[in-house]
Amino acid sequence: MDKSFYAIFKSFFKIGTLLLGGGYVILPLLTSELAEKKHWLTSEELYEFYALSTTLPGVIAINTAIFTGRRLLGRSGAIAALAGIITPSFLAIVLIATALGKIAGYISIKNLFWGVGIGVITLLFLAIKEMWTKCVNDKFSSIIYGVCLILALSGKISPAWIVIIAVICGIIYQQINNQKGGNN
Amino acid sequence: MNTIAQLFIQFFHIGIFSFGGGYATIPFLYDIAERFKWYSTTDLTNMLSISSITPGPVGINMATFAGFTTAGIFGALIATFAIVLPSYLIVSIVYKILDKFKTNKFVSGTIKALKPAGCALLSAVGLKLLFTSNLHLIGTIILTIFIIASFVKKLDPLFYLGISAIIGVILGHFHMIGI
Repeated sequence: MDKSFYAIFKSFFKIGTLLLGGGYVILPLLTSELAEKKHWLTSEELYEFYALSTTLPGVIAINTAIFTGRRLLGRSGAIAALAGIITPSFLAIVLIATALGKIAGYISIKNLFWGVGIGVITLLFLAIKEMWTKCVNDKFSSIIYGVCLILALSGKISPAWIVIIAVICGIIYQQINNQKGGNN
Repeated sequence: MNTIAQLFIQFFHIGIFSFGGGYATIPFLYDIAERFKWYSTTDLTNMLSISSITPGPVGINMATFAGFTTAGIFGALIATFAIVLPSYLIVSIVYKILDKFKTNKFVSGTIKALKPAGCALLSAVGLKLLFTSNLHLIGTIILTIFIIASFVKKLDPLFYLGISAIIGVILGHFHMIGI
């Protein structure tokens, strides 16, 4: 099948619909749809786009979709992929949010949300645990983690500033390491 | 400044500064809830519940939802557009300089610092939500059981949401939530 704007939009619309429970599942979905079914690119290329996306700001699934669309059909491919992956989630949320306004007063709905809140805090905990085991593994990352946590809990400083402070620390750390490497 | 312009600025800002996966937008949305009062932190927990069980990336679902809650369907459009715009711009630039980007030392240094920072931001929100949501004693017990269960066996995320929804309805029916 040819890589037209519409074909790319359709594939990403499908992926967006199937994308449940966090962006992490995008890689297997992309692989099966674009590499195995359509043979538009290889799973290695997709993995590389995914890995790069995790290092960039923004939603990982969205970054991955834009990279992939760009490779397939230039700028218009990137827009097709972006529009495709967003549309299902946009429609679903607008529908649910509209309905929610009408049913939110019911006591059983309130109870249901109280319950789901526990599930959500559990999922947050699991996400934190997974990130922690992956990224907080030496002295430097532990210090960054500790300082950022204290700053974030103080509530006096916007998360954006915390990110900027971390970036500056990272660059300084890299610079110091480079110099050490140069002296050896 | 009008709400729509403010929505655009705030969500564009999230698109630039959020790092590290689906939940990375939450610290920013929490910050917005506190500063602009567009929605409460309880609304935020509800949005998060719905976004987790709705198709699409959680970050996008959250943006659409927060935009909708603030300014209806137009707000939803603006927030969604604003959060993905930085991604489009940044990916377009990185795509052109791909090989340089991958081997740049400052990039790897930056990432090394950003990941623990993102984890810390999320940890702070987790703690804040834990203390502000009215879990009561019974909710705290269920949460503890879930967390212990997660250490024993890796379960599907949807399983926790499904079970906890059922528990909520049943406990509510027997007026046991306030315990």
